[in-house]
Formats: sequence, C-alpha cells, structure tokens
Amino acid sequence: MNNDVPVSSRRQLRHTAVAALGAVSLLALAACGSADPTPAATSSPAAFKPVAQEEGSEITVWADAGRVPGVQAYQKAHPDVKLKIVTYSGNANGANDLQTKVQLFDRTGSGWPDVAFSANVNDGTWAAQGKTPYAAPVDKGLVPAATLNGFAYGALNPCKFNGGTYCLRNDLAQNVLWYNKKLMDKFGYTAPTTWEEYQALGEKVAKEHPGYLVGTAGDAWSPEVYFWASQCPASTTTGAKKVTVDLQDAKCTRMAKLLDTLIAKGSVSKDTVFSAGFIKNQAAKVLMLPGPSWYGQVLFNSTFKIPKGQIAAAAPLKFEGDDKNYTGNVGGGLWFVSSHSKNLKAASDLVTWMTTSDDYQATAGTYPAYKPAADKWLAGQLKTGYFANDIDPAFKEAAELIWPGWSATQYSQEAIYSSTVIPALNSGKTLTDTLGTWQTAITDKAKPLGYTVN
Amino acid sequence: MTTHLATERSGRRGARSARNPVGRAGYVFVSGYVLLLLAFGVLPTCYAVWLALSNSRNQLVGIGNFTRTFSDYRFGPAFVHIGLYLVIWLASLMILVVLLSLMLHGRMRRASTTLRFLFYLPGALAGVASVLLFLILLDPAASPVGWLLKAFGWETLAQVNAPGHLPVLFTVIAFWTGAGGWIVVMYGALNSIPDEILEAARIDGASTLQIALRIQIPMITKWIAYMLILAFAAGTQLFVEPQLVSLASWGMIPDSWSPNQLSYQYAFQAGDFNGAAALSVDLLVLGLACAALVVFRTGLFDRDEG
Amino acid sequence: MRRTRRPRSLAARLAWLIVMGLAVLFFCVPVVWLLLATTKTDGQIVRDNPFSFGSLTAIADAWKHLYAFQEGAILTWLRNSALYTFGALAITLVTSIPAGYALALTRFIGRRTLLTVTMLVMLMPTAAMVLPLYLGMSAVHLDGTIWSVILPFSFFPFGVYLTYIYFSSNVPADLLSAARIDGCSEWQVFRLVAMPLAKPVIALVGFFNFVGNWNNFFLPFVMLPDSSQYPAQVGLNNLLAASPLFNTSSGTGNEIMRPELALATLVTIVPVLIVFLFSQRALVAGMLAGATKE
Repeated sequence: MNNDVPVSSRRQLRHTAVAALGAVSLLALAACGSADPTPAATSSPAAFKPVAQEEGSEITVWADAGRVPGVQAYQKAHPDVKLKIVTYSGNANGANDLQTKVQLFDRTGSGWPDVAFSANVNDGTWAAQGKTPYAAPVDKGLVPAATLNGFAYGALNPCKFNGGTYCLRNDLAQNVLWYNKKLMDKFGYTAPTTWEEYQALGEKVAKEHPGYLVGTAGDAWSPEVYFWASQCPASTTTGAKKVTVDLQDAKCTRMAKLLDTLIAKGSVSKDTVFSAGFIKNQAAKVLMLPGPSWYGQVLFNSTFKIPKGQIAAAAPLKFEGDDKNYTGNVGGGLWFVSSHSKNLKAASDLVTWMTTSDDYQATAGTYPAYKPAADKWLAGQLKTGYFANDIDPAFKEAAELIWPGWSATQYSQEAIYSSTVIPALNSGKTLTDTLGTWQTAITDKAKPLGYTVN
Repeated sequence: MTTHLATERSGRRGARSARNPVGRAGYVFVSGYVLLLLAFGVLPTCYAVWLALSNSRNQLVGIGNFTRTFSDYRFGPAFVHIGLYLVIWLASLMILVVLLSLMLHGRMRRASTTLRFLFYLPGALAGVASVLLFLILLDPAASPVGWLLKAFGWETLAQVNAPGHLPVLFTVIAFWTGAGGWIVVMYGALNSIPDEILEAARIDGASTLQIALRIQIPMITKWIAYMLILAFAAGTQLFVEPQLVSLASWGMIPDSWSPNQLSYQYAFQAGDFNGAAALSVDLLVLGLACAALVVFRTGLFDRDEG
Repeated sequence: MRRTRRPRSLAARLAWLIVMGLAVLFFCVPVVWLLLATTKTDGQIVRDNPFSFGSLTAIADAWKHLYAFQEGAILTWLRNSALYTFGALAITLVTSIPAGYALALTRFIGRRTLLTVTMLVMLMPTAAMVLPLYLGMSAVHLDGTIWSVILPFSFFPFGVYLTYIYFSSNVPADLLSAARIDGCSEWQVFRLVAMPLAKPVIALVGFFNFVGNWNNFFLPFVMLPDSSQYPAQVGLNNLLAASPLFNTSSGTGNEIMRPELALATLVTIVPVLIVFLFSQRALVAGMLAGATKE
C-alpha cells in the first residue's frame, strides 16, 4: 500500500506533463494576436480632451514629505480650495512609485491624483506618452504663456513632448564648480575656469597634497556632471522615442580621458560622495567638486558637516576649444496636472503657485526653476551666511547654460552608470575602456522601452 | 528501526480508514480557507496566467509573450544569476538550518530558548526597515564587520558590491533574515519526536550522529521537504535582497538582476503586464517542478507518514 | 528524561560552543550595531567605532526628530499596522487551523486537489498577483478600504501547510478515532481533542502570519490611496525617501538622518519581537504538553 502511492503519483505526473505539453502546443496554434506590447498605432497620443469639469470639487495632491508643507501653505492661503494631501515617496532615489500606481489606475480607470509631484526629472517621459497620457499639457490653456516663459532657459525641456508642455519644473539642479575656499586659499590655488586648468590643478594637487580631491566619478549622477557638461551625445532624443547614443564621439572621449588621468593620479575618487567611507575619510579633503546646486546645503552642510564660511561656488567650466561653457543638471522635481482631473482650474492653480510663488519657493530647499523666485531664493541663501562667497552669479549663470542636447529618457542614465560603469571602474578598468560597454548598456535598456537607437 | 516504525504505521492506517470514512465534516473545516483561496489565490493566479497568454488588446497570443521575454537580453543573465544563487542558498540553508536545529535541540533547553530568539532577531528586520543597516554594513569604512570585509581585500562599498560577489552577498542576507524562522520550525518538529524513541536508541548504544541521521532527520522529513520547496520558490523569486542592496548602494545592483525584478520592470516600467506575467509563470513552473519532485519523493501529501 | 544522557567528550562540548558562538555573532552583531546607532549622532555613526556607545540624550533627540516627521506619523503607521495585522491574524487562525486539521486528519474528496492548489498558489510569484488583486478589489469596490489589505493578508497558505504537516506528523489519527467511537461529533473531536494539542502550531502560524504581514510593503503600498492609512513599512519607505541620505532634493532643515532611521527601524520591529516571545512560550510549552500526552 505504501509502495503504490509513489507509482500512482508518477503516473499522475506523466499525465500532467502530457496534458501540459498538449496545452502549450494548442496555445501556440491558437495564437491570433501579436505579442508586441506596443502596437504602432498608439505611439502618438490623441489631442488632449478634458473630462467634464466640476467647479470647486476636491482635488487630490500627491507630494513627498519635503513638498507637503508647501501644499499646506497653499491651503492656508486659499482656504476655499478643497484639498486632499497624500504623502508618498515622491519617487526619490530612483523609485517609480507614481508610475506603478498610475499603471494600476489606468487599468481600473479611476484613482489618479489631480496633482502629483515627482522628484524624478525623467518622469515626464512616461507621463506624457501613451494613448491617454497621465499628464495634461499645461500650455494648452491651463497655465498662461507668460508664466511658462518665466522659467529658466531649458528648465521645461524635461516636460516638452510632441509639441506640448506636460509639467512644471519645481527646481533646477544645474551643476557649478564647488570648492573649499579655505583650503584653496591655504594651498595658494585659485578656482579654474576651464576644464584644462581643472585637469592641471588636479594633477598638481595629486603631487603637492596627495589625498585631497578635485572630484568624484563614483556617483550615479557622474554622467550628468561631467559628460553632460562636455556635451557628450549620450542621451539625445531626436523625436518621440528616438534617441542618439554615441559615446565614441570626441566630446565624450575628451571627458573620459580627463577623468581617467585624474583617477590614475588619485585626485578624483571612484567612490560616491554619500557613502559612509567617503564621508568619514574624504569629505574633509574635498578641495573642488563639480556638482549640482543642491550639493551646497544637502551635501556640504547636512552630510559632510563642513563648517560655515568655507564652501564657495564658481561658474561651470569651459573647454578651451569650445565657444562657450555648458553644464549639466542632476535631477529636479516636476509637478504634473492630471489629464483626468475634474477640476483642472484648481489643479493648475496649485502647481503654478507651488512652482512660482515667492511665499513657498523663496525658502525652498532647492534652487527654484522659476527665475523671479530664484532671485529671492538666492537672497535667502546669502542671508544664511553658510557660503564663503556669494553663490548668486555662479548659480544664475549655470541655470542658463544647461546644454540642451541631453534629454530626459524613460530609462535612468544614473541607474545604468552605477550598475555598469562604477563596478567596471572599481575592478580597475578606465572610463575610456568602459565606453563601449556603457554604450551597449544604454542601447539595451532603451530598446525594450520602445526607443529606436542610433 | 525506521522501517519497523513505518510498517507499524501503515498497518494502523488500513485499520483506521475503515473507522474514518469519507465525511462531510472535512468540507466544513476547509470552507473558510477555500473561500479565501479562491478569491486571493486561484482567481488572481488564473488571471495572471491569462495575462501571460494574451496581449494588451486582450487577444490570445499563445506562447508569444514567453518567446518575447525569452529573447530579452536580460532574461539569460537573470536566470544565470538566480541559478548560482539557488545553489549557494539551498545548500547553506538546508545544511545549516538542520545542523543548528539539531545542535540546539540536543543541549540545554533554557539556553536554546534564548539562542532561538537571538537567531530569529534579524527575521524581524526583513524589508524596508533594513535598508539603513545595509547602507552601513556593506561599507567597509563604517561597518561593524569592516575588519572582515577588509580581510577579503574590499575597501569600498563598490568593491563589496562587485557583480561577482552578489550571489553570495544575497545568500548571506537571505540567510541572516530567514534562517531563524526555519530554525524555530525545525526545532519544533524535533521537539515533537517522542523522547522514548531517542532514549531507546541511546540505550542501544547509538551515537549522537547516528541518532541524528537515522532517527531525527528521517522523522522530520516532511518539514525538511516543505522547507526545501518553499526555499526553492523563494530563491527563484528573489526580489527583496537585490532591491535593498540596490537602494543602499545608490543603484549599483542592476534593476533586473533577478527574474522577479525583471518581471517588475516589465510591469511597472514598461507597462507590459503580459510580459511580466509570462516571466512569473516561468518562475511558477520552475517552483512547481521542484515541488513535484520533492512531493513525490517524500510523500508530503500522504497522510500517514513522517 | 533528557538529563539522563551520558556525558559527552570535551571536544564535542567545545565544538558545540564554537558553532553556537559563531552563529550568535553572525545573527546578532548587526542588531547590536543597530541598537548602538540610536545612541549616536549622525556624524558619530559614520566616524566613530561601530560599537561605541553615544549618549542617552542622542536617543531622545532622535525620537524628537522622528516624532516631528509629519506630526507624529510614526504612531499612526504603527496603529495602522496593528489594525491590519491583528485583523488578518484573527481571520487567518479561524480559517487555516481548521483547514490544516481537516487536510491532515479527515478524508474528503478533493483533499489532494486542495493540497496541490494550495501549493501551486504558494509558488506563484507575488509580483504577478498584484495587478489581479488590485483589479479584483476595485471590481468589488473594496479598493482603498482597509479590507483590501486585511483580506489578502488573511489568506495564508503557508500556515495551512504548517498545520497540515503538524497534525499529520504529530497527532495520531487513532486518538481521534477513539474520540469518535466515544460519541464525539466531528466538531467536538476538533475542539476537545485536536485543539488542545494544536497550541504550538497555532503559535507558529500566528507568528509567521503576523510577521509576514507586518513586514509586507507592496500590497498596502498598492492598495491604500491615503497617507493616513499607511502601515509602518510604507511609512518607513516614505521616511527613507524624505531623508537627505536618499533624497537629494530634500533640501535643508531635514532632521531625518541615520540615527532617526535606526530608531524608526527599532520602533517598528518591537511588536514583532514581542509577538515572537509570546509565541515561543506557547510553542515550547505546547510541544512538551503534546509529548507527554503521547
């Protein structure tokens, strides 16, 4: 009796296997549709048609913990607007919470937040695409053109798709050259103005003050700091879902070579500035650091805990052969108005207030993308007395110098760099050696998302 | 000894089935669970299988989604990763959990209660809560186990997270959070072996090792089989560990390192729920193959053994 | 009874001590570090010896900052987590213990099918279940309610299997037959004979269900649309996302750094540890009681 159990089970197993095989072959025959997930017809969305509007209806706002106090301030200033505020991760650190939820809402046909904030500057790429994009084009009668024109040069580029503007930019993260003025003065150096001077100074630092650093190449956003500034065509979209990637371009290799030289000399680190090891051992030895505007408070002040009066900002560096200096951008939040909103008026009013009002933006944590608010913000920074120089000119100059040839993509350049290039660097390869692998990684990532790469 | 027990048991079984005929009571007892099973298990699974076989226009596409995901450049590496991980993970889990449970069971009841609690502790830390821990733990400069990492020659976070180290790294993390729970289960199973049997064996002059191999392990086979099935499935469905380490290292782990992560990428980055479901069905089939093997080998579904 | 065993060699004792010592180190060192981390400032965590003790006032500061996050949101998260997990726990015990019992000790047509289907569903990757569950909840208009979390939480096939294996390998069917012959109804057999023996497995199932649900992030994240409904794991995720450590756009004036995150971690695992201690007691006591009854 004990013995026949496994036998019958085995027979059962065989039967099941045969049945499964039959089912599979049947299915293969029965296939009548294409398995292609993105049929060609849906590539360009239909013109935006608002749903029936209900004046004065409640709007739901999704924002991260950092933006919620701003929304509450808006509520206080506009007591008659009915607001429901939901705190979520804000898509910080590469999360895609908003997209995940919107995918589900699209399935059930309800639940979309009327207004959503995202800290991920790439989020426009999916929010503005598809059959019925989640985001409403704000330039089609929702936000006046005069307001849109008040944003810094190129600040709304991550929102522009198919001839419409699908979001408002909360903050800019333009790169400047950060340096420790106290240390530079002590060593008798002056801040460089060109990448060539920067490299020469880096080599000099390596020789005269080994252990001190002029940059880091191990951050996820290193491509946006160095390669964007070098005008490297690593992420140039030329149309809806068409992207050019050419890392062998001279404008990429010149930056790779520069960094390789300095990494070899030891004055550029392969570590990331947020790792505990870097904070513990290298933070106090950072002499210069090309990086985004938020480095000032978030990195030097909160994380490195560098005392007041040491850190200063200089304008982005220029290549000697180029006619002008360009810079890159690392992140920056976006505000979306839902195309499904029943109260577009209230929703647009809120995003306009959040991005342009001095009441909120002048004291915000990061550099406002809206120019008039940025002036007030810079005045506020001066008052904190943290910086060793007035950062106003460097920040304003950099805000207008972001190279427009680098586009937001649905995949994250940062994720690709940190999972492909950083491990290679740490296994002893040079950036120049890795450009090929990097190029393949970008291409591989782009294609399954429906991009044509050339 | 065990064969003796087995024959005794199968002898009893014949007698009992006559006294316990097919009854309606069983249906009452399982009814509540069956409702939940249908609503939250069977229906979603069927829907997921349907998704795997259809496209976004609700047309049947047969195995189209399977071939499509199979040719994805991430498919091969993800399954290779998971294969490597499974080998290390299953071997270490099976051997160490059984070993530790036997050792705990053999000695000092009081100490063993405390030890089981200590072994379980990390289990409470599964999930988002442990990101901070790994942020520091894996960074040799500030890690409490920094000396160990440095002994391997790893000086920075990036070196610790080098691609070649990942299967071992994830095994250590999964073992750290998961083994304690299984030790509790195995300890409980060992506890239910009547003392008389062990005592008798001891009087017969069996050594500790012989008792373990010939009596204790055979008598908890069902539990071990169950652990093997679930550990295999959990291993193929690896998701949390790579996500956590990725969060804690600012993205140094590829976002589709494991098949389950790839499935997530399909669903929520590309909006391709059909491709995602196809990948999940692949994993389900793998898990089922392992389960079928184990179930038929150990008689997990048979009522009277173990 | 166990005390009567013959003395072991010194080498065996030493081997036991070494293996256990290593295991304790492996499992506990990170936890000890985490405890100590709450007593330090952010700078101390990074710069000082990992096992140094900071000060008690640092804990107070960390708690102040943590509590200030979204005006005491941490307490709301814990309350929500407790509501969802205990709600689910009750339904799980009521459904899975009788089911496991019936699968092990009664016969009915479809028993094997039920075991197979349970196993099949258990092996289905959860990532694939999210969309169907979400669509299902929305179809019956439960989306956004606490039931959209509690009900899926209380479906616990793992527990059914634990109960099944426990009953089928620990409780002799003869015991039940004897009770039936004595005239007990099936319900009485279950209540008076099986239940008293089931204490350890109830503890085990209850515990694993509690922990699994307490630590579940994705389901509540997907189901719940309102931040006042978030359980601890979803809340912690937001806390992480709000910290300058992970959120470069968080700006200044943000007090959520490493000590606050360490403290939040500890606060959220305390309930799990308490439940563990309680269920451990039931587990061991019950197993012993079962052994003497054999």
